[in-house]
Amino acid sequence: MSEIILPPGFEALAVHAEWALDTPDERHRARLASTPARLEAFYNGILPWLEKILEELDRFPLGALPESHHALFNLAFAVIEVAPHVELYRSSPGVPFAFEELRFVAAHGGQPTWAGRPPAEMRR
Amino acid sequence: MNLQHRWAEANPWLGTGPIPVEPYISPAYYEKEKEKIFKRVWLCVAREAEVPQPGDYKVKRIAAGDTSAIIVRGKDGKVRAFHNMCSHRGNTVVTETGEETYGASRAGVMTCRFHGWVYGADGALKQVPQEGRFFACFDKADNGLAPIHCDIWQGFVFINLAAQPEESLMSFLGGYADHVAGYDFSALTYHYHYHTMLNCNWKVAHDAFAEAYHVDTIHAGSFPNTFSSGIQNVKLMGPHRTCAVCLTLGANPTPIGTLAAEKARGSLTLRAAESRLPPTINPDRRSDFAFELSVLFPNTLVHVSDGIWFTHQFWPVAHNQTLWEGRYYVQTPQTHSARWALEQAIILQRNAWLEDTATMEDTHRAMQSGAKQVQFLQDDEILIRHGAAVVDQYVQA
Repeated sequence: MSEIILPPGFEALAVHAEWALDTPDERHRARLASTPARLEAFYNGILPWLEKILEELDRFPLGALPESHHALFNLAFAVIEVAPHVELYRSSPGVPFAFEELRFVAAHGGQPTWAGRPPAEMRR
Repeated sequence: MNLQHRWAEANPWLGTGPIPVEPYISPAYYEKEKEKIFKRVWLCVAREAEVPQPGDYKVKRIAAGDTSAIIVRGKDGKVRAFHNMCSHRGNTVVTETGEETYGASRAGVMTCRFHGWVYGADGALKQVPQEGRFFACFDKADNGLAPIHCDIWQGFVFINLAAQPEESLMSFLGGYADHVAGYDFSALTYHYHYHTMLNCNWKVAHDAFAEAYHVDTIHAGSFPNTFSSGIQNVKLMGPHRTCAVCLTLGANPTPIGTLAAEKARGSLTLRAAESRLPPTINPDRRSDFAFELSVLFPNTLVHVSDGIWFTHQFWPVAHNQTLWEGRYYVQTPQTHSARWALEQAIILQRNAWLEDTATMEDTHRAMQSGAKQVQFLQDDEILIRHGAAVVDQYVQA
């Protein structure tokens, strides 16, 4: 398992290091390649922490997140990618009855979300 | 009035008969659509804010118009459109990297990389290397970029590929402009953009998004607690059309959805605290109003709601291929938790779009079998009936 840096008080979340991914595309592909058991373990492991995580992230202005908090941010955003699958799709790693997911392109897919840039920048 | 058939009764000229499949699968019909629609009517190709500074440009491929349009802001601040073709030997002046290419020139010039011909953001040909070696037939002053008619309404940039458009943009928009003009599109610039190439006719894609009848079935996965309570306030305005999509919400939001709802308004399935919509939108202030679904003919769907607006665009690439683009505009977040809540909304929205697009290629493939020659529409599918009628009017004109 890869190692991640977490702020004091959040060290217990290190077991979810595989989900600390910078970009929407990485989180999307990780979810697609996962298994029902791993999706559930991650979702159930993060959910009780979420309010506390968001509170911690809100100590910093958007776009000025220190590196010490990138992994924490990434975990909070990865759980969004995973949540519908556990909450709504019976833990299926793919969206049921969906279009081929990897043909669907997010313009912001390669952007590190923690950087706080607008997802579709008007001027590119 | 028969409530089951209220839209048909209000618009008797549309009839109630079946809709032919042929226009969806016929290459010949598509050729007519190119000539009589996409090369003649106003097409929405950008937001003005996509080219905010002088020298900023966007190149958009318009396959159904057999060209690529450069949308560029001049040094005078005016947005203009040109064909992306060099006056020399026809190379693209801006090298395109895909369906949409963005760029910026601080000097306000675009240089063809083939032989270095330089054009200003106003389209004028400014510099030709070895100009003296050309012949008397060539005059720099007459050989700027070929202009495309371009106009702006509510921050939306439109082009018209006709040599001489049959009507102005405002005349083309007609009642549609009055209907949505009160909505402040420019107030929301923060947006998410998705796109994909679909192996289906552009009208298959349009139709799949132009009704709410499918919500209970297609979106049973992503919006299981949301049920269509039908469409309201149908209004047909020349070639354009609109209606209100109403949704009844169930009582079981998910844990993540509940937390996100506390942090920002990103989802269409959340009730807005108060409505700031113009009086033309949801005029009866129905509590189950979710969003206005309007079709800006021919290929743009504009949806508006409180604090959210989004578009779908269907760009035909061939009779059986369509570029779909979705853009979802929300309030700019100020905190990480608000940004997180928006991510929750857009991921669920993306999944719903994955559910929507899932049917399109299947539908087109089945249509091509020729097994059925018609489709049957129910009353709440009036926007599809109107769309088919308008397209056919243009094609047969």
